[in-house]
Formats: sequence, C-alpha cells, structure tokens
Amino acid sequence: MSVKASAAGKGRRRMGIDKKRSLEAYIFLIPWLIGICVFFAYPIFTSVRLSFSKIVSFKGLVTAWVGLENYEYIFFFDINFVPTFLQVVYDTLLNTPLCMVFSLVIAILINRKMVGRAFFRTAFFIPVLLGSGYIMKQLLGMGADGATITTGIMVPKLISDLLGVSITGVVQGFLDRITVVLWKSGVQIVLFLAGLQGISGSLYEAAKVDGATEWEMFWKITLPMITPIILMNVVYTIVAFFTDGTNPMVDYIYKMNFTNQMYENAAAMSWVYFVFALLLCGAAILLMRRYVYDSGAKN
Amino acid sequence: MDKALIKKNGRKSKASRFARTFVIRLGFYFLLMALSFIFLYPFITMIVKSLMTDDDLYNITVKWLPSQATWSNYDIAFRRMRFRAYVWNNVIVCGAATVGHALSCSLTGYAFARYKFRLKNALFALVILMMIVPVQVIIFPLYKQYSDWGWLNSFLPLIVPTFFGMGLNGGFFIFLFRQFFMGLPYEMEEAARVDGCGPLRIYARIMLPMAQAPLLVCGVLSLVWHWNDYFEPGVYITAPAYRMLPSVLPNLYALLNQENHTMIQMNELEGIVFNEAMLMAATFLCIIPILIAYLFLQRRFMEGVERSGLTGM
Repeated sequence: MSVKASAAGKGRRRMGIDKKRSLEAYIFLIPWLIGICVFFAYPIFTSVRLSFSKIVSFKGLVTAWVGLENYEYIFFFDINFVPTFLQVVYDTLLNTPLCMVFSLVIAILINRKMVGRAFFRTAFFIPVLLGSGYIMKQLLGMGADGATITTGIMVPKLISDLLGVSITGVVQGFLDRITVVLWKSGVQIVLFLAGLQGISGSLYEAAKVDGATEWEMFWKITLPMITPIILMNVVYTIVAFFTDGTNPMVDYIYKMNFTNQMYENAAAMSWVYFVFALLLCGAAILLMRRYVYDSGAKN
Repeated sequence: MDKALIKKNGRKSKASRFARTFVIRLGFYFLLMALSFIFLYPFITMIVKSLMTDDDLYNITVKWLPSQATWSNYDIAFRRMRFRAYVWNNVIVCGAATVGHALSCSLTGYAFARYKFRLKNALFALVILMMIVPVQVIIFPLYKQYSDWGWLNSFLPLIVPTFFGMGLNGGFFIFLFRQFFMGLPYEMEEAARVDGCGPLRIYARIMLPMAQAPLLVCGVLSLVWHWNDYFEPGVYITAPAYRMLPSVLPNLYALLNQENHTMIQMNELEGIVFNEAMLMAATFLCIIPILIAYLFLQRRFMEGVERSGLTGM
C-alpha cells in the first residue's frame, strides 16, 4: 500500500511526501504518546494543581484553589524542608564535579591496555549492580543507625595523631564523600569509557609523531574531544543525585506523602525541588555549551 | 642537533627508561588497586560479614577474615526472606519491564532519529523532561491513578508503563536509541523503501536487527535498575504475595533496628537468631542473580555501550 502512495506522491508536490512521512512518524510514536499523556503529563498536571490547592475530597480528587499557601507553608512553617533542601543542594554542587573528575580519571586509567582489564571494568561497575536501591542506602549508613556498615575508608591512626583532630575531621569528611561519590559513578565511568574509545587513534599518533607527551595529549586531545560526554554526564549526574534513594530530600517528600499524608505540601515541595534541579541542569548546559566540541556531523 | 647527543641520550635512557616505565607501571597498578578497593569495599564487607558466626560478630579483632566461615546465615536468610517465592516476582517484573523498554523505547527512538515531523523538537523536549523529572515528584498522582484503576498490589504499575516508553528511566532509553539510529546510514532504509518495504517492516526487519548494541545496553541497564528499584514497588505494592526482593529487605532491616542497637540480636524470631550477618547474607542473596547475569554479559555490555553511539552526541 505504501508503494502505491509513494508512487502517487511523486507526481504531487514534496509536501505530500512530507505529510506522509510525518504520519508514519506519528504511527511509530503512538505508544509513547499514549504513555506520556497517561503516565507523565496527566500526573504532572495533577501534581501542579495539588501544589496550589487543598484537597476537599479524595473521591475523584476534588480540590480547592488556595494559591501559594502550600509553598508558604513549606518555606516558613516546615522546620525540616529548608535545611534538608539546602543540604541536598550543597551535596549536589560538591559531588557533581568530584564525580566528574574521578570517573574521568578512572575511565582513562582502565582504557589503557593492561593486565586484568576485565576485572577492573567489572569492579568499577559493581556499585551499579549493588544498587541504586535499598542495599546501597543501608551500606552507606544513611538509613536508621545501628545495623549499618560505616562508610568507606578510615584515616589511619598514625596520620590522625600527627594531624590533630580538626584536620583529620576534614580529611575524613572528604574521604567519606569520595567514597559515596565513587560508589555512584559506575554509569558515568562506562559512558566516559565509551567516549574515550570513540576518539580516533590517528589523533594520538599524529601528536606522538610531533613529540607530544601524554600529559599534553590529555589536555589537547582527550579533554576537548570528550566535552560532549562531560556535558551529558553532568546532566545525568545531577539528575541521578537528585532522584537517588539515598537522598534525604526524596525521603522527606516520601514521608510527607505517605506517612504524614500532607499531599499538597509534598507536591509543593517536589516542585520546588524539581525546578531547582532543572535550573541546575540548565545552568550546567549554558555554562558548558561554549566549551563543548562540535564535530559538525550533527544535523 | 648533534647526532652524538641523541646517541648519548638514547644509550643513557635505555636502562633508566626501563626503570622509569617500571615505576610508572607499578604506581599505575597501585592506583587502580586502591580505587577498585574502594569500589569493592561494600561488596567485600557484605560477603565477609555474611560468612561470620555470632562469635566473630562480637569479636572486634575480627574484621576481614572470619575465624571460620559459616553458611548457616545464608540458609537462614534464604528461608526467612522467602527467597524462592520472591525471586520469581523479581524475575517476572524485571523480565517484562525490560522487554517493554526494549520494544517501546526503540520504536520511539527510531521515530525521533529518522523522521522529520511537526512538533518534533517540542516532543523531544518532552523526552528530555522525562529524564529530568524524578518519579518522586509525581508519585502521589500516579499512586492515586493506579489506585483508581485497581492496579495497586499487582505488577501492572511496574510493567505497563514500560510498554509505553515510560517507567523507570524510560527517557534515558529513548535517548539511547535515538543516538544510535541517528548514526546509521540512510541508504539501507531508502533501498528498502524503493523495493516497496513498508515503514513498520523497515523498522522490524532492518533497523532493529542492526540495533543489537543499544538493545543490549538497554536490556542490561533496565534489568539492573528494575531489579534494584525499591521506591516504586514499595509505594504500589503492600501485599506480601507481590513483594519484590529489595522491598523485603527494609522489613528485615527494620526488624533488626527495632531491637536495641547492639551488634547481635539475641531475640529469637521464629526460633532463628536474627543478626547482622544474616542481614548481609540476605542482602547478598538479593543481588546474586543480577550479578551472575552481569558477569555473563559484561564484555558484550561494554562493547555495546561503545558502539551504541551514546557518546556521539
């Protein structure tokens, strides 16, 4: 049938073919369009509506408009929201660059030819398998206290004696953070690794012939070529940190919803939270866009 | 430059170059070992703890090697968490959801990569939005919706959305497929079209078989993410019969935390001593299936990521 249509289309203007193609595209998109309406757009609409109103009746979710009351409540009356929110913002701002640096370094390390490559690749991916989930949460010691493994590596006693309490505290805090960040950078490492594989070997060969050192090659070739993946990873990392199960804000919103049953406030909270994540991603994209290498292959 | 100088340098560095590369090599492996230790730390701890007897747990001098490895923790954990019953729930949900993602996301990604149509950019912005909006933001409306439809306490809310390109990280998978299909040459499609192949057949017979790399990546990631996810199952499923493995764990942890915060719980729960070692065994049991699956797919998965064109944005 499509043969006939395209044969007929040849006689007509290009517009006809375009329209037909457009129609075909929409046929492909039907499942997703249904999905996004039912499982995404409508819930979002409800959530926005909830954040500006009070629930009158649960049957059919009848609501009454109250304006910004819920937002006022979470900012001025809820004693937990603002500190938790700031904590998450602080963590994200600190963890994202750390995660980028470490996962890039690790990716470069395991991209080399070496003994035990498969082992290392698996090792660095294990935290992803272990869980974005509850397991990780418990292992990180962020759940209820008592039955959790303490975080990562400790500063050796000898060094802590030498440095004194305050400095050791800082170092220990840094180490803890690193551990948490590393355990969450499995996917980023894989993406970087794939990006590194994608860089043409001839660039390095040419540089080597011209006498460039590895250090120079990293700054002049690897880093510029990998900028698109850095950008993608930054966005991915911000989103991953924000939606992570170990995130206290997510926990709090969940509690607000299903323990305290203050759905309207929870909706307002999640919107403040989400808009911030969006702004952060937007800022990252805007800041980095100037530096991103564009191969020009894209249409 | 003098030939002599070059010669001299060359001769001098032969011994020292070997020493230098050796030291660099050593440092390199040391760094990798250290880093992989950090990555494996929770994993190793989990296994070691799970093999400990009660005495070892008490004994603070035992940190890494249990004085005698015991398998009884696994035995207890296996029965207590009713592993055999719940693992099938996990397999069903994860299997179905993975298939759903592979089908729907490849279809959607293909349309976005290969067609020009009205509102394309606006719709693609929606895909990006899907990636960014955390499910926590819309969890209550979704919950309400599913409860109105009578879908709570079943696997439907976890499986059905994936067949429509939604669900856990659906946006990411659509993006993955779009990136891959964008990198393929147009000639094949055009040739097929000239020969009279319809669009759906082009997709099913030509494009999909070529998309093994992203299909594998999508499959592995979707499987792993669904396996570990406890947020959505925890919200939608409360009936014990439909629980998933990771949502059984919080109950175990809660049981342990309920007691006073000592290392070992001496309370007899159903005649079984409930302690941290058992908990670790239970936790490890949860990830064993996914671990085995990953070990088999590891190499092809990495290749898949490299070839899926994700990085060619």
